[in-house]
Formats: sequence, C-alpha cells, structure tokens
Amino acid sequence: MKATVLYLIVMVCILATGCAQETTMIDTMHDEGKAVMALDYRDFDLAASKMVQSMLGSGALKKQEGGRYVVATGRIINDTTQRIDTDQLMVKIETEILNSGQAVMTSAIGSGSDELLLETRELRDSEEFDPDTVAKRQTLIAPELTISGKIFQRNIRYDRNKQQVEYYFQLKLSDVKSGLRFWQDETLIGKRGSSRSVSW
Amino acid sequence: MKKLEFVLIALIVFSSGCQKQNDSRIHVREGVASDTLGSNIVTRPVVHAFSALIGEGIEVTQAVTRRNDAGFLELYVNGHNKSFGTKRFRYRVEWLDEDGLMIETKTSVWLPFSATGKSPFTIKAVAPRPQAVNFRMDTRKWE
Repeated sequence: MKATVLYLIVMVCILATGCAQETTMIDTMHDEGKAVMALDYRDFDLAASKMVQSMLGSGALKKQEGGRYVVATGRIINDTTQRIDTDQLMVKIETEILNSGQAVMTSAIGSGSDELLLETRELRDSEEFDPDTVAKRQTLIAPELTISGKIFQRNIRYDRNKQQVEYYFQLKLSDVKSGLRFWQDETLIGKRGSSRSVSW
Repeated sequence: MKKLEFVLIALIVFSSGCQKQNDSRIHVREGVASDTLGSNIVTRPVVHAFSALIGEGIEVTQAVTRRNDAGFLELYVNGHNKSFGTKRFRYRVEWLDEDGLMIETKTSVWLPFSATGKSPFTIKAVAPRPQAVNFRMDTRKWE
C-alpha cells in the first residue's frame, strides 16, 4: 500500500515538472517572439530609434554659433491604459543626444533631475564639509532646450472578434528663451489582434 | 477553339508590349494603369504563379551616403520590389567608424519596412554619431 502511494506521488511530481513552462532568456538582438497587444521593449526600441534619427537628422540640435545646447527633459505624459515608465523611451533618446556630441542633458531640472544636486548645495553651512568642495552659488547652467511629449493610445473595434490598438509617440523640442519649437515628430505603432486580448 | 485562345493570348502579349512606359518617377498601380501581363485577368494567375515560383523579392539597386548639414551620415537605400505582393521585412543598420569598427548605438535595432509589389522603395537611416563613415545593413523576414 505504502509503495503504491509513494509511486503515485513520485509520478505526479515527475508529470508536474514536465508540464512546467521553462524560463528562457530573450535574445533581444534576434527576438522572434510574437507581437503582443501591449507595448513591449521592441516598440520602445522602434519609437526611440525613429525619434532619434528624425531629431538628429533635422539639424535642430546643431548650435549655429558653435558649442553644445543644454537640454532638459520635460514632462512625458503617459495617456495609455498601461503603467509605463516613460524613462523606457526617454533614456534611450537622452543617451543618443548625449553621445551625438551636439548637446548635453541637464540633471538640475526637469523630469530627469537629480535631487542630490540641490541637497549637496544645502551643505554650504555645514561644518562637516570642506566649503571649497561644496558647489558655489550660481553655478548651475540653465537649459536652453526642453524635450516634452506624450504617449497615447486609441482602442478601435475592428470587427466582432478583432480590435485595433494604436499607440502614438509624440515628442517636441522647444527653445526655452523664445518658446519656439525647433523639432517635433510622431511615431505610430499599430497592432491588430483578438478583442479578448487586453492591452494593459 | 484553341486557335481563338492562342490569338487572344497573343493579342494581350502584343498589346502589353506596345504599352507606353510611364515616367519612372510615377507609379501607376494595377487597376489604375492599363493592363499588363501581370495585371490582366487572363494572364495574371500564370504570371503571379511564375513570379512566386522563381521567388522574386527585393532587389537593392543603390546605396547612397551623404553627410547632412548637422554633420551626421545619412544613408539612402534604393531598391525595387520585383514580386507582385507587398514585401514586409525588417532591417537593421549598423554604423562603422573610420577604423571599420562598429559604433554601438540605440538606433541599431530591427525596424519594420514594407515595400509595395512591383514598386521602387527607399529606406533612409541617419547615423546618430558624427564619427560614422560607413555602414552595414542586415535584413530579415517580418514574422
């Protein structure tokens, strides 16, 4: 009796292990995985690549008088039904702007700001810190250009069984002093699939 | 009866041959332009089947690079989709510096592209670094 029970337990364990889904790493260089209705990393890669090429190709970041622009990242609105960290898009774009050699990003202000910049300035009166190593007043550089934008989504009923989800990535680059817009672009990513699959 | 079929096909073939070619910059699609062998209701199945049989696809005719005003290398890949159907594929451009070494960028990702059947197409890419002097491009099927 005991042997039979033991045998059954062992068999159940073996079968359960066989049914378990194996975890695999995604080959992000040659991902042949199926498209999903929600936004995944491939969509952000695509949007960022197109936006960067459009922005740099337009010449909007080339300073006429020479030198490099100081760019701040403004608000990127997520108007989709998904919880998106907009940094997934902006970090790629900021990295390419920096690496292009035509502009520098500021961490002093905007959505990419670093709290420690202001916190370290509060150390001026502290006796614990060498005053020569604390940042002086009026040393931060104000941004000349800002990037802001929006990601929004439209869900459209395609037919009885299918839905169409359209994702719009919109970015604009504006001059702080004049308020003039130097560049803007939009990338559309459209997906069509079962109306039963959810896009959030 | 067979004679009549032969005459009909011969007429279509000859009439297609006599067709005036459009300006190459203007693409007049099937159903808008006059019939050709590939668009005629009688000959179309045979021509399409033959095209599929020999596996007609994309042909790259020219790759042009130029440096834009901002100092970045621009690539224009001109080609022609020789098949009758729309060809959907992905491409990736990698940029090379003057030593022939690859420049790692966030823009070197697989991008989708779709070329209309029997039509020319152009793919444009911009190098995100001024150091880029050359490129290499890869394509793969759009799953």
